Amino acid sequence: MNEHRRQVLQMLSEGKINTDEAERLIAALEEPSAGKPSENGSGSEAKARPKYLRVQVDSEDDGGREGPTKVNVRVPMQLLRAGVKLAGLIPAQALHRANDAIHEQGIPFDLTQIKPENLEELIDQLSDLSVDVDQKDRESKVKVKVFCE
Amino acid sequence: MIPFVAVVSLRGQESRTLRIWVPLILLWLVLVPLVLLLSPLIIIGGLACRVNPFRAFSVGWQILMALHDTEVEIDHRSAGVSICVF
Repeated sequence: MNEHRRQVLQMLSEGKINTDEAERLIAALEEPSAGKPSENGSGSEAKARPKYLRVQVDSEDDGGREGPTKVNVRVPMQLLRAGVKLAGLIPAQALHRANDAIHEQGIPFDLTQIKPENLEELIDQLSDLSVDVDQKDRESKVKVKVFCE
Repeated sequence: MIPFVAVVSLRGQESRTLRIWVPLILLWLVLVPLVLLLSPLIIIGGLACRVNPFRAFSVGWQILMALHDTEVEIDHRSAGVSICVF
């Protein structure tokens, strides 16, 4: 029996709460998010909004010629949000020219369809992003991790 | 929050680290009057390029504010460079 459940039962035995309240408290404790601290302290929103996007690259060169390389980048999510707003500054004429160049390469992509609000939504969804890439070959080993924290 | 200081660390082959503290606040103090002086030219240039200069200023300001807490570290062999913005 864990500490919280014991406290609930003790409050019940002392008459501080009734059986219905005790039942509700125990049910709340049994929820997967129970006991974890939340951002607003209410316990209803257990998941805090991430503040940074972290990119880590770890490369080991077994051959010894290139040597190991490590890259660690922490980008504030706010910077990403501000960055995508730059897309809204691109003049329509420039977008059309870029579209034409993309179409010439045979890529069916329309840049004018990308709206800043869509990009912001995309950034909001990045909180669940986690990319792990492990590549191993004869001479080198590369690990790439992209996640939000 | 506007970034006040950037710390640039350079590590050489001999494992000696050179750490440079860049007081960005001084840079902003110099840049603000310069931007104000050049603002008519910036507005005219923006309009010529069909970019809303006020929106561009707003986005630029937001990017500047968001730079706080950015961190980049690159290590290769025994050398490395690290930039932290506070």
